[in-house]
This record gives sequence, structure tokens and C-alpha cells, in this order.
Amino acid sequence: MAFRDDMRRVRAIVWKDLTTERRSKAGFNAVASLGVTILVLFGFALGPDAQALRDAAAGALWLAVLFAGVLAFNRSYQVELDGGALEALLLYPGSRWAIFAGKVLANLIFVTAMLVIVVAVGLVLFQVTVPEDWGKIIGIMMLGVIGLVLLGTFYAAMSSRSRAREVLLPLLLYPMLIPVLLASMEATKAFLRGDLMNQAGAWAQMLGAFDVIFLVATFLAFEYVIEV
Amino acid sequence: MTNDRSTFAPPTAGWWPLFGWVSFLTFVFTQVYAVLTSPADRMMGHMQKMMYVHVPAAWVTFFAFGIVLLASVAFLWTEDERQDLLAASAAEIGAVFCALTLILGMFWGRPTWGVWWSWDARLTSTLVLFLIFVGYLALRSFVEDPQRRGQWSAAVGILGAINVPIVWMSVKWWRTLHQLQSDPRSLEPVYLRGLLLNFLAFTLLTVFFIRRRYEAARYERAAEHASQAAALGGYNG
Amino acid sequence: MASSTLSYVVASYVITWIVIFGLLVRVLGAVRQARREYESAVKGGFNS
Repeated sequence: MAFRDDMRRVRAIVWKDLTTERRSKAGFNAVASLGVTILVLFGFALGPDAQALRDAAAGALWLAVLFAGVLAFNRSYQVELDGGALEALLLYPGSRWAIFAGKVLANLIFVTAMLVIVVAVGLVLFQVTVPEDWGKIIGIMMLGVIGLVLLGTFYAAMSSRSRAREVLLPLLLYPMLIPVLLASMEATKAFLRGDLMNQAGAWAQMLGAFDVIFLVATFLAFEYVIEV
Repeated sequence: MTNDRSTFAPPTAGWWPLFGWVSFLTFVFTQVYAVLTSPADRMMGHMQKMMYVHVPAAWVTFFAFGIVLLASVAFLWTEDERQDLLAASAAEIGAVFCALTLILGMFWGRPTWGVWWSWDARLTSTLVLFLIFVGYLALRSFVEDPQRRGQWSAAVGILGAINVPIVWMSVKWWRTLHQLQSDPRSLEPVYLRGLLLNFLAFTLLTVFFIRRRYEAARYERAAEHASQAAALGGYNG
Repeated sequence: MASSTLSYVVASYVITWIVIFGLLVRVLGAVRQARREYESAVKGGFNS
């Protein structure tokens, strides 16, 4: 059955992407450390006044995740490119969406793991007081990460295979991420402030809508981008 | 890719030079007409006249991007390289008018609100659109192979077009939540005729510019193809 | 106040006209050059 084959392919890609050398512990540690370092730099840029830091925490957090995360996106195609395996992968019959889905899932796991570390450090560095119902914010953060990873994985399919890949990915990706980043930052900000008017909920809904739109768009466009 | 002979044939100028003259004369006429016949606004004074350059420039920016979107879709659908060349030409012209729109927007903002930039939905979305144009053109400059360049540009252009209204909505919502006033720009009917005439003039000019840029791109492609065919042994491609 | 806003208006028109006529020059120049390239490619065979 074609669908089951595709699902098996997705799982294979996720497993391979997460276990190859570049995604090993060393690779993850490097990216996570970078996220923390960026947080520290933001601390210097915005502090040392405690209130200023608390106000800026949500924004700094998401930017740190973004800047460190984009390193992961180009690298997620690096393995196939080095071994010439991308052509081989495309020779197998079957839907291209499975390749995309596999990479998105692998990046999702990677970026989420990094997010956990960056949030933990951010709470400390930016002297954030966490509201009691912190379970809610986790859902919102996941929605933000999904949007980030979808678009990042999509644009990296092009940037990783062109010249000037280090500048091309941010150049293409950052304008596209503005709605997702804005919604994530505002929802996080509102939540940390105590959110008297349920703004976080409104942003979360927008974020969910953005994720759906970009999910459909990237999956449809991926085959045009990976084939050529 | 549909590479029939017409793709690599040089473009024909046809009546386009005449069109160019018409559009330029229309432009000069409508600009002078609008400036001379519009009375000074009660509140805005002479600032009102800026409407005849700023608003049409914004319109043709989005018009050009609309062409980028349609041509990109057409390219993915028909695989006709000429559609890709059209999209690229429209993107170049659109980027110029986008930059102009932003500059004019700042010239409007500085005397009106006292600041060169306000993060309102219109201005911000136009800036993001400019970044998308720049990304599109940068991508094209980094990719050599025409097939790959065309497909990648089309994907980037289409997704970019989807993003612009989303950005606009997000920024609007963002400002509303932070209780910032949106900028109310009402239009009195006496100014409407001048504005519409200038819309027409700018649109004609933009169509002309895009067409000329497209012709240049077609010539370049035809030249490439001709020298490749010659190098391969002289059969006329 | 009125005179300073007038200068912004004038600057806007000046910039717009410069951009539009500048675009004209650029675009026509591009066509001319590309056409020359094409004609030499067709004639000469090997493009430099």
C-alpha cells in the first residue's frame, strides 16, 4: 500500500536524520550552546535592569531559538548532499512529501529539545516569574516551533543546494517567519504578563491558522523544489 | 520543460514603443494636472499632493507582485520558461517601485507624525514585501541552471505572495492589541479624479517597463541558446 | 511649518520622476545591450 510505504519512508528518514554523525550529541550540544550564548548576548543588550529584562524575555527567547535553529535546517540536508544520496533518494518511487515529512519531524524533535534548554536558561537569566498554569504556554510554544520548522525545512531544501547558503536561508526565511514569530512572541509575552484579556489565546488561534496555511503550502510546493 | 522554438526566439517589439510614448505622455500630463488642479486640503495642506505619487507607487508595487504571482503559477503549470522570465522582470520592476513607495511613505510620515517610521500595518507590510522581493532576486542570482532557477523562484514567489496579507493582518492585530491607533486616511471626492488618472498612468508605465525588461531577458535567453546551439555543431535550435 | 512640508512634497515628486525616468533609461539600455548580444551570437556562432 502506497501510504504505508510512505509512512515507513518517513520513519526511516526521521531515524536516519537523528542518528547520523552531525545530529549526534556533539552536534546538538553545539546548537543548544549557541542558543544559550545568544540569550546571554541579548541579556547584555537589554539589561541589566530587571524589569527591562523581564519585558524583553519572550522576544529574546524566540530570537535565540530562531538564530540557533536555522543552523539545524541547512544541516538537515547536508548528509544527503555530502554523500550524493539525495539523487538516490529521489530515484525511489514514492511521494516527495514523505521526504519532507521525515525531515520536518526530525527537525521538530531537534528544535524542541533545544527550546527546552534555551527556555530553562532564559527563565533564569531574564528573571522571569512563571505563572502557575504554565502548561498552556507549552502548547503555544509547540505551535510556534511547528511553524518555524515547517518553513525552515522548506527553504533549506533550496538554500542548502545553492551558493551562499549561509546568507540565503536567513534572507529567504526571516520575512516568511514574521507572522509566526510575532504571534509566538506576543502569546508568550501576554502569558508571562498574566494575560488579563486572554490575548495569548487569540494569538494562539492565529498561530494555529498560520501553521495550517504554511503546512499546506510547503507540502504542495516541496516537490517542485526538491525535484530539480 | 516545453522548449519549443518560440521560447528561444527573440521577442517582437510590435506596438510596444508606441505604448511607451503613450504611457510617458500620460504620466507627465496626469502628474501636472493633478498637482495644479487639486485644492489645498483643510487639514493636510499641500501634503495632500503627495497622494498622487505615493498611492500610485504603492498600487503598482502590488500590481507588479501580482504579476510575479500569476507568472510563477503559470510557469509551474506550463513549464514554459517565458513565464519565468516574465516573473523575474516583474520582480525587478516591482522591487524598484516598492523601494520608492517606502521612501515616499517616510516622506509622508516625517512631517505628518514627526517620525520617519511608524510600525503601522501598511508601511510594515510594504517593507516585508520589499524583503521578499530582495530574497527572490538574490535567489535568482545564486542559481545558474534555468530549470532549477525557475522552479525555485516560482515557489518562493508564490509563498511570498501568500505571506504578505498574513503579515498585514498580524501587524494590524498587533497594533490593535497594544492600543495604537490605525492611521485614518480618508479621501475626499474632489481628489479622486486626479488619483485615478495617476493610477492609470503609473500602471501603463509599469506594464511598459516590465515588458521592456522581459524583452531584454528574452534576448539574453535567445543569445544563450544560439551560442549553445552553435557550439554544439551548428544546427539552428 | 507650511514651507517645510512643501519641501517634503517637492522632494517626493523629484524622487519619483528621477526613479521613473531612471528606470526608463536602465530598461531601454538593457534591451539594447541584450539585443546586441543576441545578434552577435547569431552571426558569430561562438559568443565571447
